[in-house]
Amino acid sequence: MSEVVIEGLTKKYGKTVVLDDISLKVSAKEYFVLLGPSGSGKSTLLRLIAGLEEITSGSIYIGGRKVNDLLPKERNVAMVFQNYALYPHMNVYENIALPLKVRGMTKVDTNRKVREVAETLHIQGLLEKKPKQISGGEQQRVALARALVRDPTVFLLDEPLSNLDAKLRVEARAFLKRLQKEVGITTLFVTHDQAEATTIATRIAVLNKGTITQVDDPYLLYEKPKDVFTAGFVGSPSMNLVHGRARKLESGWEFYNEDMKIGLGKNTLGSETEVIMGIRPEKLTVSRDSSGLAGTVSNVELLGSISYVTVNVGKTTLVVQLPGRPDMEIGDEVRVQFHPESVLFFDTENGKRIDTPTD
Amino acid sequence: MKALNLLVIAILTLISLIYLFPIYWTVVTSLKTNIEVFTHPPILFPSQITLSNFYVSVNVFRAVSQTAVGSIPWMIDSTIIAFVATLVSTFLIAAPAAYALVRYIKSVWLARLILFMTMIPEAVFVVPFFIIVAKVSLLNTWWGLILVYISFSAPFSTWLLMGFFNDVPTSVEEAAQIDGLSPYQIFYRVSLRLVTPGIIAAIILSFISCWNELLYALVITYSPFPAGAQTVPLFLTSFIIVEKSFAWGGLAAAGIFTMLPTLIVGVFAQRYLARGLTLGSVKG
Amino acid sequence: MQRGQALKVGLVLASPIIVYFVAFFIYPLFNLLQNAFTSSSGGFTLANFQAMPSDPLLSVSLSNTAYYFVGSVALEYSVGFGVAVLLYTYTGRLKSIFRTIIFLPLMVSPVVIGLMWLLMLNTNYGPVDYLLGPLGLGSTNWLGSQSLAMPSLILANTWEYSPFVFLIIYAGLQTVSPQLYEAASVDGLTRFQTFRFITLPSIRPSIVVAFLLNSIGVLKGFDLVYVLTNGGPGFSTYILSFYTYVVGFSFFETHYAAAVALLFLAIIGTFVFLMLRFTSVEEYLGLRRLRT
Repeated sequence: MSEVVIEGLTKKYGKTVVLDDISLKVSAKEYFVLLGPSGSGKSTLLRLIAGLEEITSGSIYIGGRKVNDLLPKERNVAMVFQNYALYPHMNVYENIALPLKVRGMTKVDTNRKVREVAETLHIQGLLEKKPKQISGGEQQRVALARALVRDPTVFLLDEPLSNLDAKLRVEARAFLKRLQKEVGITTLFVTHDQAEATTIATRIAVLNKGTITQVDDPYLLYEKPKDVFTAGFVGSPSMNLVHGRARKLESGWEFYNEDMKIGLGKNTLGSETEVIMGIRPEKLTVSRDSSGLAGTVSNVELLGSISYVTVNVGKTTLVVQLPGRPDMEIGDEVRVQFHPESVLFFDTENGKRIDTPTD
Repeated sequence: MKALNLLVIAILTLISLIYLFPIYWTVVTSLKTNIEVFTHPPILFPSQITLSNFYVSVNVFRAVSQTAVGSIPWMIDSTIIAFVATLVSTFLIAAPAAYALVRYIKSVWLARLILFMTMIPEAVFVVPFFIIVAKVSLLNTWWGLILVYISFSAPFSTWLLMGFFNDVPTSVEEAAQIDGLSPYQIFYRVSLRLVTPGIIAAIILSFISCWNELLYALVITYSPFPAGAQTVPLFLTSFIIVEKSFAWGGLAAAGIFTMLPTLIVGVFAQRYLARGLTLGSVKG
Repeated sequence: MQRGQALKVGLVLASPIIVYFVAFFIYPLFNLLQNAFTSSSGGFTLANFQAMPSDPLLSVSLSNTAYYFVGSVALEYSVGFGVAVLLYTYTGRLKSIFRTIIFLPLMVSPVVIGLMWLLMLNTNYGPVDYLLGPLGLGSTNWLGSQSLAMPSLILANTWEYSPFVFLIIYAGLQTVSPQLYEAASVDGLTRFQTFRFITLPSIRPSIVVAFLLNSIGVLKGFDLVYVLTNGGPGFSTYILSFYTYVVGFSFFETHYAAAVALLFLAIIGTFVFLMLRFTSVEEYLGLRRLRT
């Protein structure tokens, strides 16, 4: 009913390619997130779906209908902008009512619908106020109300939480998640904040420089990133990425660079090439034992229940996550240890993850 | 520091006096009796004040020009002409044009053209405009002058409003687009409402310049309401030419009287314009 | 929105101004060109332009205009600029009073200003003569002498226009962020250095715009001349705008008038062109922002 299907979508501004052959399928009622750094094209993609920009080539289907040539208002989508874009000269009621008014709805019906939506979003008390008289969080809910009042097919959100302060942002995130479930509307959400993405999404599409690197649920994105970009982008603090080579010895495969040698246990690599090794901070541990990689502590960050310890192993820097408060200081000589099974490998040339089947 | 400040105050006071003096002198002259006006050395503070100049001036001119009561006819003409010209120019012509230029036809050359049009001297087009107005038989009528004034007011107001429309956030317009408004509805219901300060500035400036305009009024009109459409500046110039060496008190009175409307609008405008007009788009 | 659609909407919105443009710019221009290049018998001729160098009135007007332009702009600009800086440095309760007074000339019609100065400059009964008398200039016929008429005109024009320059410069000064001054004082700059290295560069747009608008305003000026001197005495205050009017409506020489009008237009156009080319005044006026 309200799936969004994108086929081979490309967007160019003159010669600059902003989106390159994007294909995507968003199921009905899904909370789908477009995640990527600035300039990755995620906002452009959203705007193309909304109809605010023209498609260079490819197609977009909403609810089975091809919408390429349709105006925004004909696509029955609703959009919430980063700065909410409320009409400053109208009060909250008029802001929410305008979409209905323009469609010729009677005053009585409009009134009823507006109040319904206002209740859903808990803003009934604000209807007489003007946008500049209410708080940021309230403005955001008004923007949501205006979007929802039309019963749109698809809900598009362009970084709507960036303007809120940290605490409010977390509350708003939860609120949005509940709301989306309650209303049951297909939602596309754009953000550059990977933590935000992983907490709310059913599925995430990671964009980098105009192409999609991976589409998966948050867990798979985290555990099984398909390339080095995704691996480094998802998860905070970032995955540790180390350059080196792999070689086969009698005892098995080994990864090495000028600072370290690591036996890979049962894992195998295809060939002896340059690789990037990746390992998440929480999969590493630090101690004063005599086994493991030798290094010096260069930074300790305390976060309350966990800490991040940065260790310099030769020229390589590794960030390790430890519980509580570790008993070490900058300058201490320590050893870094980890399970070879928790390590991931990426091709240096194309960045893709290399499968390491155990035999 | 204190000494420097004192010096600054002194200079500023001197400058203020210089700016104030001509106005003061004219006011004083209008209140003087004829004996005191025509004395040498000139008297700064009259010993007696009379209001007869205000009354007499009007009568004297009336006698000379054989028209109806006082300067009221000219006032009526000026008010209506300036009013209509300003409204039509601002709302029907400049606002949509400015919006179109900023959002749809983003041509720097057209913008340059508009700007250049504001710089063309009146004298250049006097003859052709006269011919045009004569051709449509609108000489000495309100609409004749209104049409001409619009051609001057529109480019300036357009340029002024362009700056203001540029500052309207596109996201609000896009939200309206998604909400289902047509481009014209967006202009009328959203964007136009958001440039109100600019509109007011344009209206004030346009009204004042229409009211003060001399050359075209001179050429296109020759008698005041109700027979024609002669404006206040013309009333004054005719008065000056006729009475240059005689009824100075009356002259001064006429000057003060006709100066009042623009002065009032100016004071009112100053309070409003001082709020962040800074010529709209002059940026540091 | 597709480009074609966008253009259509733009054209609909701009249709009123386009109509005006054609009727009151294109057509008059065409009319002027037509007239300038035809003779009274109707044939094509360059005679109207060829007659210009030998027209004494035209040469007088041009030299007068140059005199008027240089004198007025120099005086008005310096006064306006100086007063703006002065008021800016002054901090005190009288500030808004001063500002209101300085704005007064802007609120008076040019015709009334002409009237005022007529009264002021009168030889026998005017205060200007009286006040400057002790300086040795007593009993001078300001408006009646050929050598003093233009200076008088310039004086009146300065009174009329300097507040305009003041307005622009003063507004520009207000936009300078106070934090710049704080940084300067921390860095140890003297007041003079601060003015020279911080303030002046910051108000560069205002400086240029004020100059442009002031110049154009002086060149366009008609009202003051008409009322105060009417071109006289003799032809000492004939300026180009005035002459253009006279040729058309006193001499009724339609063809020559068209030529003169075009000359005037060309002069203004050249000035504007030069300013656009050699200064970034366009940007300061907000035109560059159109390039999205």
